Amino acid sequence: MTLFMTFTVLGLVLGAVYAIAASGLVLTYNTSGIFNFAHGAQAMIGAFLYYQLQAVWGVPTIVSVALMLLVVGPLMGFLLHRFVMGGLRDTAEVTKIVVTVAILLGFVALSQWAWDPQEARMSKMFFGADSYVTVRGVTIRYHEIICLLAAAGIAVGLRLLFTRSRMGVLMRATVDDPDLLRLNGHDPERVAGLAWALGSTLAVLAGILITPVAGGALEANALTLLVIDAFAAALFGRLRSIPRTFVGAMVLGLTSTYLVAYAPSEWTWVTNLRDALPMIVLFVVLLVLPQDRLRGAAVRTRERYEVPTVRRAAVWAVVMVVATVAFRQLIDDSSVGTLILGLSFAIIALSLTVLTGYAGELNLAPVSFGAIATIVAFHSGISGTGLAARMNLVGLVAGVLAAAVTGALVALPALRLRGLYLALATLAFGGFVSSMVLRETQTRSWFGHDFAIFPNGNLIVSPLAVGPLDFADQNTFLYSAAAVFAVLGVGVVALRNSGYGRRLAAMKDSPAAAAMLGQRLVRLKLSVFMVSTAIAGLGGIFMSMALTSVTSEHFVYVLSLSLVMLTVVGGIGYVSGALFGGLLAGGGFTLVVGTFNELSIEHPVHAETFGILSHSFLVMTALVGIGVAQNPSGNFFEIFHGQRTLARAPEVRYTALAVTVLLYLLAYAEVIGTWTFGILVVVLWQALPALGRALRPDRLLSQDELAARAATPLELLGVDTPYPDRLGERLDRELGLPARHRQVTPVQSVVIAADHSSRPEEGVRHVTV
Amino acid sequence: MTSTELTAPVPAIDEDPVLELVGVRAAYGAIEVLKGVDLQVPAGSVVALLGPNGGGKTTTMKVVSGLMPTTAGEVWFAGRNVTGITATEASRLGVCSIPEGRGVFANLTVRENLWVATGTGARLADLEEAAYARFPRLADRRGQLAGSMSGGEQQMLALSRALGTDPAVLLLDELSMGLAPMIVSEMYDIVGGLAAEGISILVAEQFARVVLPIADTAALMLGGRVVKVGRPADVEDELSTTYLGG
Ligand SMILES: Nc1ncnc2c1ncn2[C@@H]1O[C@H](COP(=O)(O)OP(=O)(O)O)[C@@H](O)[C@H]1O
Ligand SMILES: [Mg+2]
Repeated sequence: MTLFMTFTVLGLVLGAVYAIAASGLVLTYNTSGIFNFAHGAQAMIGAFLYYQLQAVWGVPTIVSVALMLLVVGPLMGFLLHRFVMGGLRDTAEVTKIVVTVAILLGFVALSQWAWDPQEARMSKMFFGADSYVTVRGVTIRYHEIICLLAAAGIAVGLRLLFTRSRMGVLMRATVDDPDLLRLNGHDPERVAGLAWALGSTLAVLAGILITPVAGGALEANALTLLVIDAFAAALFGRLRSIPRTFVGAMVLGLTSTYLVAYAPSEWTWVTNLRDALPMIVLFVVLLVLPQDRLRGAAVRTRERYEVPTVRRAAVWAVVMVVATVAFRQLIDDSSVGTLILGLSFAIIALSLTVLTGYAGELNLAPVSFGAIATIVAFHSGISGTGLAARMNLVGLVAGVLAAAVTGALVALPALRLRGLYLALATLAFGGFVSSMVLRETQTRSWFGHDFAIFPNGNLIVSPLAVGPLDFADQNTFLYSAAAVFAVLGVGVVALRNSGYGRRLAAMKDSPAAAAMLGQRLVRLKLSVFMVSTAIAGLGGIFMSMALTSVTSEHFVYVLSLSLVMLTVVGGIGYVSGALFGGLLAGGGFTLVVGTFNELSIEHPVHAETFGILSHSFLVMTALVGIGVAQNPSGNFFEIFHGQRTLARAPEVRYTALAVTVLLYLLAYAEVIGTWTFGILVVVLWQALPALGRALRPDRLLSQDELAARAATPLELLGVDTPYPDRLGERLDRELGLPARHRQVTPVQSVVIAADHSSRPEEGVRHVTV
Repeated sequence: MTSTELTAPVPAIDEDPVLELVGVRAAYGAIEVLKGVDLQVPAGSVVALLGPNGGGKTTTMKVVSGLMPTTAGEVWFAGRNVTGITATEASRLGVCSIPEGRGVFANLTVRENLWVATGTGARLADLEEAAYARFPRLADRRGQLAGSMSGGEQQMLALSRALGTDPAVLLLDELSMGLAPMIVSEMYDIVGGLAAEGISILVAEQFARVVLPIADTAALMLGGRVVKVGRPADVEDELSTTYLGG
């Protein structure tokens, strides 16, 4: 009985902290319509800052808590709203998700910058772990009592806020119709800002409370994930109801502790199950959630993508392979691996182009599908031993199929629901893979066979050999990866241009209309999700082969999220966006950070500067991701748009091509370095539209733009020309001067109206009123 | 001249109109929708803004209520140049706007909707009293979600905002949209009552007939301009013969 009570108390405490975290999430979701994936990262930052104040700087506990809850939390929320979230109105759900994901990544990078992850830090309980009361043999620490009280207080407080206070009512109103709120004399920005301040404060509180409960270790990734567990609790309340969210949190907390207490001791995997529990619960809740009503009209969003023709895509595919071969000649052998890794990631990112760019759904764990494919390929397709071991085609195909089937299983419960829920399902799947599948390192009996799924936590993935192609040769591998990406790229463009692709686009624009036209949305979504995860699986196997030996560290959620974010930054509707995202996520980071590290070893005097640069590179990338809020179609949209205008002046392009070849030859002859070559080429092509307009204005500017250039500037109007009355009016208008004096001389206006009988309305006005 | 001058003893020239638009232009992105609108709402009068779909009536309403910025021209309110004020400020100055479509929060209850309406300084109790006195049906549904009520009841709730907050100008956009004729005339009876209390009203309607009984002046809006201002009957004639095809 005492054991039961002890575990009940522990479960309730855990549930209480989940509840606090989840309620903040529900609060901001209901006032802004934004599901804040960065909520956990905010909690993590809160925990670190509190540690800094209380443990490092020795600020008294009560003062630290007050500072965190009254200053840091609200300020963080207010700034987030002011600079990021407020700008997310009228964007697609995908954009909203990606922006909060970018904030998550930014916060994690920031915390690892400020607090070196190599150092161990422990967060202590309030009043220490030794202050407790004992009730009938059950020990309850003061800290735990505080958790329970805080949760209860917040439950009551939020309920009162939402039903008994006008501010609460306004918060619920603002997500519906901010303009109507304005017409009622309120300022929706202020209301939403307050909601974000409150939501962030709840996140910070959850972070401070949960860290000691969860063992006390301050570790950025683990803490961020811990609060993501609260998502499951929020789903219990369908992201709307605070009371149900609290119930969900308690169920989650209790199940988790009972599992540890009462599971049979031969279940060695129970700790893994416990870690995966919130994600499993999230999945189960998705299964029972009722179907959303389909939105009627097409959503008016700011994202725009253009679809290239298959022919154009094929040309670019050839260009890409040729460029890869040419670039290979510039780099030394040690960098080839990085490039292969980048291309493998680009293949994974291509799965997002299909799923998100074409169909408008989101997968937040593409790399985890790669993990499944890798494991299946490893178990089914390796022949030979030692250095002669190779993966065969069977393994590759089996891996890809496994990823597709897993994709179908993951997507099934969420297909009836909105995109956000599918995103959550994939996130849950990613969590499940990390905490259960990749931890299956022991040999066990599976379906009558004894084997370990992830032997010793480290898979040696041998290179693929198909006929004459042997990936053990780095060059073969590199060119094959480029060719696979190019072919798949053309393939997805062809898919988009087919009838199937148009159905996907219709579903993305207006699910209701697509359903009305007799399309089976569920089947459509399921098939596209399977295609997408199959591609992700293929990319995952390539990635594992490129790394040769993979551990669970290679499939962490941060990697998936970075990839998703970078692909959106590049432009998720484009194959080139996938290439950009993949190269940066797979190769770019290691390359840039590695280069900075080398530089700091070479020039120890500047080591600090290079350290800052390498850290700020990570944070900057997240900032670029947040910038998606301003530019939701991705960077390539602008670039393509600029490049397309050059079609009317092909000589500009040919010149640029010649310069590129010249630069290449210089790099080949080692006159300039590879970095210099890369940067110069990027700058050249980025600046080309502007250069072209400056050099060939007659070809590239439209009539209007030319006219605007030729027109007299406002301040010179009438200087050496006659000065009619209407010119005065125009100047007044352009300068925003009061127009009222015009009425004082009605006679004159009537005369003007008579002069220009083509505009009779002015005359009418003065006759009748 | 106009009927306003027949009823009002003071010449309109000396008195500032409550609301005046001078050469107002406005655009959605690059598309200019209002191309120099001139319009006056004299104190205490009801002006009907008529015209076929797409003429720019709703956009004009948005400009006046502060939801939409102007690109040129001026908006005057009771002798003050208020060009460029926000909707929040405008509503606090006494501009009460019932927008096109539903002017209620579907996910709030009737009472909570009225609570939101207290943003301009009225008290909830007064608002509730005024609304329930005029529309007893709302009193029975005070705890019901506004989105689950009939279209007519929703419009009553929207109009209640004008009843309890004592605005100086009331803007009504397509009050009749999607409502049964019976309800429409009931609504306009109430609008007429508000006009009799001295509230200046600008009402936009595509179908002129429903507003004619209460309007003092009518303005015809076409292609982003007010092309004719005059007695309601005259403007309605022109509207129905020329633009709505009888
Ligand atoms: N949100 C919008 N974006 C772009 N154009 C719009 C928008 N709203 C209205 N328009 C255009 O502005 C013009 C005037 O519309 P509106 O003011 O609604 O007219 P009315 O209310 O008289 O029917 C129409 O041509 C319409 O297509
Ligand atoms: Mg309209």
